[in-house]
Amino acid sequence: MSTGLARITSPRRFKPWPYLLIAPSLIALGIILGFPVYKLISLSFERYGLAEIIAGKGTFIGLENYRETLKDPEFWRILRRSLLFTFGMVSVSIVVGGWLAHLMVKMHPGLRRVLNGVLILVWAMPQLVSISVWRWLFSFDFSIVTALINSLGFEMDNHNYFVNTFSGFMIIGGCVAWGALPFITISIYAALTQVPKDLIEAAEIDGANSRQVFRNIILPMLLPVYIILISLSTIWDFQVFSHIWIFLDSRPSAEYYTMAIYAFQKSFGLSEYGMGSAISLIMIFALIGVTGYYLRQMMRMGDE
Amino acid sequence: MKRPNSSIFSNISGLFAIVLMGFPVYWMVSTSFKPKGDILSTNPTLFPRSFSLSNYTEAITKEGFTQALWNSVIVVFFTVLISLFVALFASIAVARMKFKGKRIYVASILLVQMLPLSALLIPLYLLLSRLNLTDKLAGVILTYIAFILPFVVWTLRGFLINIPVELEEAALVDGCTKPQAYRLVLFPLMAPGLVATAIFAFIQAWNEFLLAYILLSSQDKATMPIWLAGFTNRFGTDWGPLMAASTLTAIPVVIFFSLIQDKIATGVTAGAVKG
Repeated sequence: MSTGLARITSPRRFKPWPYLLIAPSLIALGIILGFPVYKLISLSFERYGLAEIIAGKGTFIGLENYRETLKDPEFWRILRRSLLFTFGMVSVSIVVGGWLAHLMVKMHPGLRRVLNGVLILVWAMPQLVSISVWRWLFSFDFSIVTALINSLGFEMDNHNYFVNTFSGFMIIGGCVAWGALPFITISIYAALTQVPKDLIEAAEIDGANSRQVFRNIILPMLLPVYIILISLSTIWDFQVFSHIWIFLDSRPSAEYYTMAIYAFQKSFGLSEYGMGSAISLIMIFALIGVTGYYLRQMMRMGDE
Repeated sequence: MKRPNSSIFSNISGLFAIVLMGFPVYWMVSTSFKPKGDILSTNPTLFPRSFSLSNYTEAITKEGFTQALWNSVIVVFFTVLISLFVALFASIAVARMKFKGKRIYVASILLVQMLPLSALLIPLYLLLSRLNLTDKLAGVILTYIAFILPFVVWTLRGFLINIPVELEEAALVDGCTKPQAYRLVLFPLMAPGLVATAIFAFIQAWNEFLLAYILLSSQDKATMPIWLAGFTNRFGTDWGPLMAASTLTAIPVVIFFSLIQDKIATGVTAGAVKG
């Protein structure tokens, strides 16, 4: 409503102002993000190793990096692992977060306030703090989880949970989900409270039961929020790096490689920056497909 | 709409969620107050048997704490100051003016937020090393600004749009120039939004690990998250001091976060339902 007025009232003579105002941000984004994106693309077509770093110039080799990457069975294993991890993480965190948010509506107000406080507390935890705490929870020496399992009668002393990749990924995933749940839950809850009450009452008067109200009124109204959250979670979960890196003492074994770690190891570990760039670009393209919808959604909001 | 049994069910689930979500935080704080002997025990107790501050003194006197704290303060200060300044200008253009290329600008602001940071590490590192900015706080500050900027512009735009244009128009009618109208009418109304956004930028810069980890190599350049990561060495991890250090690192964020949480939560969903 107000933006419509702005359109009418902003006078034509202020024309250079908007460009002057956005210029500093454009320059900053151009140098720190625009140029690296360009560089990433050009690097992916080059051989760029230690010799090239010293010379300051790569050798153009066309699609060689891509060809070699796509030929490598290890790449496909890692891609599949990353996609599986992302899919699992996104579905678990969205389902649990959404479910919790819907329950929050029906909770006792006092309880809801406590839960909200706990969620905010968890949300505020710096990533490195939450990783450190979870490492302590599942540490092989003197950890509470080991003690709990012991008390159930199993012999778990000095059990390293990361020897088995399945339990390792479960713990890493648990830590990622723990950190992501507050944002998801609170966002959905905030959206739920914005659903107009009279709409629900009208539907109830017309004889709709609670399941019908949920399916026909609440869910359609929440759909945009769910889509945004799913897209954001996909972006975050697909590029998980620090969790795996720190949980595995900065030297994860090959079974723990995800796309981000793979690209990192290729470039910073093996000094094959061209190859690492090609892998990173493949990663970006994988994400673009999934998140296209998110962008369209946000664009619509930007136009209001 | 509410059936009584569903309410009992949600209360029980809520209680369960509180315990499950809250426990790691509780365990961090509780461990941090335990004396060493109680931490290295195969029968950990839920509550500390005796309170001890030794983990905190050990953490604070550990090598590099003051340096890391100071580095983090510098990084956060300049990141917040510069990104807010730059973003304020841009957000006024986006929220209040009509210009050719606005759609493209808005699209790129949103697109940039979806760039996976870990994919850009390689060219960023190469670029900054060419500019002689690796292992310097300035390089980290520069990258943080760029990564935070799109969100800050977008959030400030959201706050601006909620301030009625009529107020500025009234000032213009009363004889103000446009810059005066912004300065005297718009900026004071924006203050809460600016504070909230500044706090958000603060938290981002305070928490960031990956970029700092790649860009900074010497120990005297470490920020708080890097200092935290340094608690694990080849001899293992000193859990008590690490939990104390983690608690100390989290405290400023928790305080600031609780001040702005309602704004950030609604910021994500604003307009999505009503829109």
